[in-house]
Amino acid sequence: MLRTLTAVLLWLLVSAASAQDAARTTDELKSLDQEVQALKKEVLDLNRELFVLEEELLFPANTQVAVFVSMDVGEFFALDSVTLKIDNKEVANYLYTEREAQALLKGAVHRVYVGNLKAGEHELIAIFTGKGPHARDYRRGATVKLEKGVGAKYVELKISDRAVRAQPEFIVKQWE
Amino acid sequence: MRYVLPLVLLLASGSGWSAPSDLVGQPAADFALRSLSHDNIRLSEQVGEVVLLNFWATWCGPCRQEMPLLEEIYQKYRRAGLVLLSVNIDEDAAQAAEMARTLGVSYPVLMDSRHEVAKAYQIGVMPVTVLIDRAGTIRYVSEGFKPGYESRYTDKLRELLNE
Amino acid sequence: MKLSRCAVFLLALASGLALTTAAARGRAVAEQPLVGTPQVVKDLRWGDVLFYFYQGEYLNALTRLSAAQELGYLNEHALEAELLKGGLYLSLGQHEEAGRIFRALLNDNVPLDVRNRAWFYLAKVWYQRNYFEEAAAALASIRGALPGDLEPERHLLEAQVLMYMERYDEAVRVLERWQPVGDGNDVWSAYARFNIGVALVRQGRIDDAVKLLDGVGQLPAPNEERAALRDKSNLALGYALLKADRPAEAKQVLQRVRLVGPQSNKALLGVGWADSAQGRFTKALVPWLELRDRNLLDAAVQESYLAIPYAYAQLGAERQAAEQYMLAVNAFAEEQARIDRSIEAIRNGALLEALADHDDERAGWYWQLKNLPDAPETRYLYHLFASHEFQEGLKNYRDLRIMQRNLDNWALSIDAFESMIDTRRRAYAQRLPMLEATLEGVDLDALEARKNELESRIAAIERDNDIVGLATERELAQWRKIEQLEAALASADRSDPIVEEMREKVRLLRGTLLWDFNASYKARLWRARKDLRELEVAYREARRRSVLVERARDEYPARTEEFARRVEQLRPRIEGLRARLASTAEAHNRHLASIAIRELEAQKERLAAYSLQARFALASIYDRAASGKSGGGE
Repeated sequence: MLRTLTAVLLWLLVSAASAQDAARTTDELKSLDQEVQALKKEVLDLNRELFVLEEELLFPANTQVAVFVSMDVGEFFALDSVTLKIDNKEVANYLYTEREAQALLKGAVHRVYVGNLKAGEHELIAIFTGKGPHARDYRRGATVKLEKGVGAKYVELKISDRAVRAQPEFIVKQWE
Repeated sequence: MRYVLPLVLLLASGSGWSAPSDLVGQPAADFALRSLSHDNIRLSEQVGEVVLLNFWATWCGPCRQEMPLLEEIYQKYRRAGLVLLSVNIDEDAAQAAEMARTLGVSYPVLMDSRHEVAKAYQIGVMPVTVLIDRAGTIRYVSEGFKPGYESRYTDKLRELLNE
Repeated sequence: MKLSRCAVFLLALASGLALTTAAARGRAVAEQPLVGTPQVVKDLRWGDVLFYFYQGEYLNALTRLSAAQELGYLNEHALEAELLKGGLYLSLGQHEEAGRIFRALLNDNVPLDVRNRAWFYLAKVWYQRNYFEEAAAALASIRGALPGDLEPERHLLEAQVLMYMERYDEAVRVLERWQPVGDGNDVWSAYARFNIGVALVRQGRIDDAVKLLDGVGQLPAPNEERAALRDKSNLALGYALLKADRPAEAKQVLQRVRLVGPQSNKALLGVGWADSAQGRFTKALVPWLELRDRNLLDAAVQESYLAIPYAYAQLGAERQAAEQYMLAVNAFAEEQARIDRSIEAIRNGALLEALADHDDERAGWYWQLKNLPDAPETRYLYHLFASHEFQEGLKNYRDLRIMQRNLDNWALSIDAFESMIDTRRRAYAQRLPMLEATLEGVDLDALEARKNELESRIAAIERDNDIVGLATERELAQWRKIEQLEAALASADRSDPIVEEMREKVRLLRGTLLWDFNASYKARLWRARKDLRELEVAYREARRRSVLVERARDEYPARTEEFARRVEQLRPRIEGLRARLASTAEAHNRHLASIAIRELEAQKERLAAYSLQARFALASIYDRAASGKSGGGE
C-alpha cells in the first residue's frame, strides 16, 4: 500500500516539476505539496478506520475466509437460494425469504459463509436460484479459484444483470 | 426403506438419547426451509407471533389423524397471531404434497429432506409438535399423537397468545 | 277416725307446703329455640350471633346482634334477627324492649309466619307481666300452626292464661282439643295438666283435678324433668285426696313418688297421714321414722318430729310419746341455734361468697342453680332456694355480676384501643416525611411525557419501516463511521484504484451492517413494543398508587382523631356504668341478705311454733299422767 502511495506521491511531484509548468511559482508548488500531505493523512486515517471496522464487522475471531452475497439488478429478480461448495464439499446452502431478498435489493449484503482454509489453491463453486420476470425459474453458477495466502480473504458474489439485462449472473470480486 | 429412517434419526442423535422435551425453555433453533408452494420460510422472521411447529412424515399413521385437527386450529387461531409451520422429513416432496392435499392442509408445509432441522430439534418419534412463544423460546413439546392431544395444544396456545 | 285438732293443723300445714311448689310457669330450659326453626345461615355474622345464642350466652349474642344490625350486616336475615332480638330481650328480662320489637313486627309487610311468631312472643311477654287478657288476645291473633316446638308451647300458654283468668273449664277444653305431638304425652301438655290440676284443687274441684293429675302422675319418666313433674303431680294429688278425706286413694298416689327426690320427704309425711287417717298408726310410724332421720331444715322432717309422738299417743304409748316430744323440743332448740349462727354468717357476708363460688357464665332469664353448695355454712341455702322471691333476687344478682365482668373486659379493651390509636399516630408521624419525599421525588407527568414520546418514536419506525431506527448504540456508531467514510471517499479521486478499492470495501461493510439491521428488525420491534406495553402497565399502576397514597395521607390523621374521640367518649360511660353496677350490686346483695335472714327468721318461728305444740302436747300428757287417767291402750 505504502509503495503505491509513494508512487502517487512521486508521480505528483514529478508532474508538478515538469517544464510545461515551470511558470508556476514556488507557492503553488507548496500548496500542492500541502494538499498531497493532507490527502495522504486522510487516506491513512481512512485506512485505519477501515481496518478497525473490518476487525469489528468482517473479522470475527479465527476466521480466514468470508464469502458475501450482494445484489445489483435492474430488472425484477426474486432470489431463492445460494449454494456454496469449496473443494467439492458443500459449505453453505442458504434459502432466502422474501424479506431477505428485499433487503438485498435495498443494498444489504449477506455474509453467507465464514470458514478456515489452508493456504494454497482452492476451488469455490457458487450456484444461485431464483425467479425472474414472468415467474421463470432461473439458475446460474460460477466457479472461483481461490488463492489462499497467509492473511484473510473475502469473496463477494454479486448477482448482477448489468452485462445482459434480465439475465443476472455472479460477478465475483476477491480481496484480502 | 422409509421405516428405517426413524431408526437412523435415533442413531444419529449422537451419544446419549436426548429428547425434544429437553428443549423446553431453550431458544428455538433458527432455520429456513422451502415450502411446498416454493416460498422460503425462516423461523426467526416469525418473532412476535406464536409458532406451532409440527414434524411429520407420510409413513406416520397418527399424523393422518393429527393434521386435519391442526388445520382446524390453524383456521381458528391464525387471525389471533398463530403461525403454523409443518416440517416434513420425507425425501419425496411429491408424496408429501399429495398427502397434504388429501388431508386438506392449507398451512405451509416445509421440506426438510436433509433432516437438518429434525436433528436440531432432536426429533426421534413421529409426530412431534413444538410450541414457540412470541420471544422465540420453546414452551411446549408433545411427542406422538393420541386423540385428545389437540385440546392440550389449544390450551397452551391460548396461554401463549395472551402473552 | 277423726283427726285431732293438732293433727288437722299439721295436715293443713303439710298440704299448704305441698301446693306452694306447684304452678311451674313454663318450661325452665335454657336451650329452647326461641326462633323455632333450624337455621340456614346465609350471613357469617348471623352464624356468629347464633353461635353465642345456642350456648346460652344471651348478653353476648344480643350485643353482637345489635352491633351487626347497626353496621348493616344482617340484611339476609333481617326478620329473623328482629325476632331473635326480641326473644333475647325477653330472656334477659327486658319486657318493654321485647314488647316493642314484637309489636313492630306486626305489620302487613312482614310474612305471616314471622307475624305469628311475633304474636306468640308478645303473648309470652304479657303473660309474664300478668296481663292475661292481653295475652289471650295475642294468642288468638295467631293464624295457623307455629313451627316446631313453639306449637305445643303455645297450647300450654293458652291453657295457662285461661287458668290464671280462672276459666278452668275452658282451660281443660283447650287441653282436650290439643293434639299431643311426639310420643303421645309430651312434656308441654303434662305441665299444662299439672298446673290446671293444681288450680282445680285450689278451687275445691277435686274430682276434676284427679282426672288431670292422675294422668300426669303416671307418665313414663325417661329423664329427671319428667320424673320431677310426675312426683309433683302425685304429691299434689295425694294431698288433695287427703284433704278430701280419701286417704286410701291418697296413699296409693303418694306411694308413686320416688323415695329419693325433692318431693320424697313430703310424700313420706303424706303416706304417714294417709295411714293415720285410716287409724293405722303403727303403719304410719314407718315412713315418719324414716323421715325423722333426714335433714331437720326440711319442714316435712320437722313435722315428723311431732307426728311420731302423736302416733304413739294414739297407740296409747304415752311414755314413748312424751319421750318423743322431748326429743322434738330439743332438736328444735338445736336447730334454732344453728339458724342463729347462719344468720350471723349472712350478716358477715358469707352468703355472697357461697354464691360466687358457683358462678356460671350464662345470663338467662330461665337460669336455675342446679348444684347446691354443700358446706355446713351454706345448709340454710337449701331453704332459701325454695323461696321464689330469693330466686328472683338471685337471678338479678347473677345478671349484675355478668354485666360487671363484661364491662371489666371492655375497660381493658379500651386501654388497648387507646394504645392502638397512639401507635397509629406515631406510625403516621414517622412515615410522613418519607412519604412526602417519595411523592415529590416521582414526577409522573415527566414520566408520562417520556413514555408518549417513546411510543411515537416506535410508531414512526414501524410506519416507515426504518430498520436503522432500532440499531444499538454501537451499531449506530459503526453506521455513522461508515457514512463519514462514504462522504470522505465521495470527494476523493475516483480514478484512483486504491480509492476505488476502499469504496468497494466501504460498500461491503455498509451492506453487511444493513443485512444485520434487517435480520434483527422484527425481533427488536417486537421487544420494543413489549417493553412499551410493560412500561404502560407500570406507569398506570404508579399513577393509581400515587393517587391512593395522596388520599390516604390526607385522610388518615382525620380518621385517627375520630377514633380517638369515640374512644374518649366511651371511657367515662364505661366507668359510669361500672360505678352504678357496683352500687346496685351492693344494694342487691344487701337485699338478698335481708331476704335470706327473713326467711331464716321465718324458719325459726315455725320451729318455735312446733316447739310450742310439742310442749303443749307434752304438758297434756303430764297432766293426764298426773291426774291418774289411764293412757289408753298400750
